[in-house]
Amino acid sequence: MSEMKDMILEVVERMLKENVDKDLVDIVEQGNWLSEVWNLFENNGITIVAISEENGGAGGDLEDLLNIVRLTGKYAAPIPFTETTLANYLLEYTNLQVVSEPATYMLSANQAYTLEDGKLTGEAIHIHWARHTKRLVTLANSAEGIHLVEVDLSQAEITPGTNLASEPRDTVKFQNATVSQISNALSFDEIRTMTILETAFQLALMTGAIDKINDLTVQYTKEREQFGRPIHRFQLVQQHIVNLAGETAVALAAFNNFVDALLTNKHSSEVAYARIRFEETIQAVATISHQVHAAIGTTHEHSLHQYTRRLWSWRDEGKNTAYWTDIVATQLLENSSDSLWAYLTGTKLALKL
Amino acid sequence: MFQLPTVQFTEEQEQFRLEVRDFLQEGMAKGKFVPKCDSWLSGDDPEFSKLIGQKGWIGMTWPKKYGGQERSTIDRYILTEEFLAIGAPVAAHWFADRQTGPLLLRYGTEEQREFFLPQIVKGECYFGIGLSEPNSGSDLASVTTRAEKVDGGWIVNGQKIWTSNAHLCHYMVTLVRTSPFDGKNKHAGLSQLIVDLHADGITVVPIKFLTGEHHYNEVFFDNVFVPDNMVVGQIGNGWAQGLAELAFERSGPERILSTFPLIDELIQELKRKKNAEGLKQASKIVSRLWSLRNLSIGVAQLLESGDGDDVSIPAALVKALGTKFEQSIPEITRLLVQTYPTLDAQRKIDRFMAESILHAPGFTIRGGTSEVLYGVVAKGVVTQ
Ligand SMILES: Cc1cc2nc3c(=O)[nH]c(=O)nc-3n(C[C@H](O)[C@H](O)[C@H](O)COP(=O)(O)OP(=O)(O)OC[C@H]3O[C@@H](n4cnc5c(N)ncnc54)[C@H](O)[C@@H]3O)c2cc1C
Repeated sequence: MSEMKDMILEVVERMLKENVDKDLVDIVEQGNWLSEVWNLFENNGITIVAISEENGGAGGDLEDLLNIVRLTGKYAAPIPFTETTLANYLLEYTNLQVVSEPATYMLSANQAYTLEDGKLTGEAIHIHWARHTKRLVTLANSAEGIHLVEVDLSQAEITPGTNLASEPRDTVKFQNATVSQISNALSFDEIRTMTILETAFQLALMTGAIDKINDLTVQYTKEREQFGRPIHRFQLVQQHIVNLAGETAVALAAFNNFVDALLTNKHSSEVAYARIRFEETIQAVATISHQVHAAIGTTHEHSLHQYTRRLWSWRDEGKNTAYWTDIVATQLLENSSDSLWAYLTGTKLALKL
Repeated sequence: MFQLPTVQFTEEQEQFRLEVRDFLQEGMAKGKFVPKCDSWLSGDDPEFSKLIGQKGWIGMTWPKKYGGQERSTIDRYILTEEFLAIGAPVAAHWFADRQTGPLLLRYGTEEQREFFLPQIVKGECYFGIGLSEPNSGSDLASVTTRAEKVDGGWIVNGQKIWTSNAHLCHYMVTLVRTSPFDGKNKHAGLSQLIVDLHADGITVVPIKFLTGEHHYNEVFFDNVFVPDNMVVGQIGNGWAQGLAELAFERSGPERILSTFPLIDELIQELKRKKNAEGLKQASKIVSRLWSLRNLSIGVAQLLESGDGDDVSIPAALVKALGTKFEQSIPEITRLLVQTYPTLDAQRKIDRFMAESILHAPGFTIRGGTSEVLYGVVAKGVVTQ
C-alpha cells in the first residue's frame, strides 16, 4: 500500500472533475482525439504510476493505479489511460522495457497474430483506441509458444470501429511488421496472471462507472418532483434506491477486496468472483438508474448514458463472465474432496487459478 | 381475479396472417425495409406507411364510410403481431392508427371523422401524442399548457415534451388545461385539442435519443389558435377521454414484442450451432412469451366485445409484465450466445442486441412507468 495513495487520488479526482465533462466525452465519442486531457495526465506523471522508478516510473503500486483507473471510469475519461498503463504493467511484468507514448494491448490468445523471425502478421478486432495510440502490446504465437511483443502501430493497417459506447475499437492488421520487443515464451501461469490483471483493470473502470451512476441517480431523486414531492419519497422509488445502493456497495467492496488480494497473490480467485458478480450488478444498476431517471435519462443530452453505455460495452470485452465461470467451475470440480466452506476460506493459501 | 377470454382464430384469420407475413417477407427481401427491434416506435418510414395504407391495413377496424374495412379487433391484432415480429417500420402512422382513430370514433364529431380518418387510413396523416410536459410526467394531471377561450376557438400557450415523431406528424392530440387547476379535483378542467403542428406559433424542437437518433421532441405553443371544431369530445372531459385511450395503448402486442426480432435471431443462432442446452434455456423465453400473449390477446378480445371499461386493470397489468419481459431479452440472450453489440454490426444478432439494449430503458417508461402501473393494478385488484 502506497502512502501517497490518498494524495494521488485526490489530485486525480480534482483533475478529472475540472477537465472532463459531458461535452468533452461527446466530442471524443464523435471520433476525435483530445490531446489536452492526455497531456494533463502525462504531464502530471499519472500515466507512469506503478512503473518502478528504475524504469522511469513515478512510483506507487498496483493499488494506486487501479484506484486511478477506477476514477477514470467514474468520469468516463475519454483517453486510453487503462490501455497505456496496463500495457506498461504487462511489459514490466515480462521484463520488457516500458514505453512512453500512448499504448494499447491485446490479450486474447486466440492466435490472431503470429510471429516469425521477429516479424508480426495477422489481424485482430476490437483493439481499444488503436487509431489514437502509438504502440501495441500484444500476445503473439511463434513456433516456441506464446509471447508478449511490443510493436509500433505505424506499421499497422487500422480500420476504425466502435463499441456500444462509441469508444474506439479498431481492427488492426499487420503484415510482416517489425516488432520492437519480444518476451520469452510465456508459461500458462504467466498468461493467466495477465488475464487476471486485464480483468482487474476492467473491473476498476466498471466500479467507477457504477459509483457515478449511483451518485447521479440519488441526486436525481432529490431534485425531481412529481405529485408535489421529491420522487425519493415514493416507496417504489425507495426500493430502487436501496437496490442500487446495495449493488454499488457490493461493487466498491468487491473492488477493494480483490485489489487487496491481488497485492498479496496475483493468482487469487477474487477477480473471478468479482467479474461474475459484476454481471448482475451491471444489469441491475443500468436498469434501475434508467427507470428512476425515466424520460430524461433516455436523452443524449443527459450524461447517464455515457456511463450505462460503457457498462453495457465493457461487460462484453476481454475475458467475460463465461470464461470466469468456467474457471471457478473447474476449481470446484478439482476441489471435490473439500467442502465448499474449506474452498471459500482457503482460497488465499491453498488455491491456484 | 379477472378471467380473460381465449381466442380461437378462424380459418380466414389464419389466411390473413399468412397474407400479411408473405407481404412483409417479400417487402424485406426486396429491400423495402430493414427489420429492427422496437420498430413500432423508432422505425418511421412514411413510404412504408403509405404502402400499408394501400393494402387497407391502417384503420382496418373502422367503418367503411371513413375508409376502414370494418374488420375485427382480432384481425388488427394479428396484423400488428406480424409487423412487430418481423420488425417492420410502422412508427409513422402508429399513433394515428392505434389511438387517434379510436378516439375520434368514440368522441369526435362527424366533421372530424370525415376529415381525418380517410387521410389516416391512406397512411398520409400522422398524429403525435401531446401529454407529457417537463414538470408533468407521471403526475399527468398537473399539466399547465393552457387554452383560453376566444371568439371561434382557443388560444394555446405552453409546452409539451417527449412527443414521439412530432417532427413527422401533421397533428397532435394535446391535453390542455381549459379551466384553472383545482387541488380538490385535479382531473377536472382538462380537455383534448387537435393541434395542427404546422400552425403559427408552434415550434418543434428535436431531442436526441441516447443513441443520437432523432426520435422525440419538445413542442412549444406561443399563442396558437385552435378552432372550436378541433376540440375532441367535451371541454373539461379530457381526462376521462384520455383514460379510455389507454386501454388501447397499454395492452397491445407492442408491449411484448418490441424485442421479438432478437428472440427470433437468438433461436436461429442456437439452432445453427445445434446448441441444445441453449435452446432449453430459450424455451423459457418461449413459454413466457406464450403466456403473456394469452393475456394480451384476451384483453383484445374484451375490447372487441365492447366492454371497454372493464379492461383498464388487465391492460395495465399486461403492460407492466410485458415490458419487463421485452426488456429482459437482451440480458438473457447475451448469456446464451456471445455477442458484441453495435448499431452498425454486420452480424444480425449483434445489431439486434444493440438496438434492444439501447431502447430497452424506454419500454418500462413510455406510456406510463411501471411504478405508476403497479399502483393502478394494485388498486384495481384490491377493490375488486
Ligand atoms: C421513448 C419514449 C417516448 C415517449 N413518447 C411520448 C409521447 O409521444 N408523448 C408523450 O406525451 N409522452 C411521451 N413519453 C413520456 C412518458 O410518457 C413519460 O416519460 C412518463 O410518463 C414518465 O414521466 P417522466 O419521464 O417525467 O418521469 P417521472 O414521472 O418524473 O418519474 C421518475 C421516476 O419516479 C417514479 N415515480 C413518479 N411518481 C411516482 C409515484 N407516485 N409512485 C412511485 N413512483 C413514482 C417513476 O416511475 C420514475 O421511475 C415518452 C417517453 C419515452 C421514454
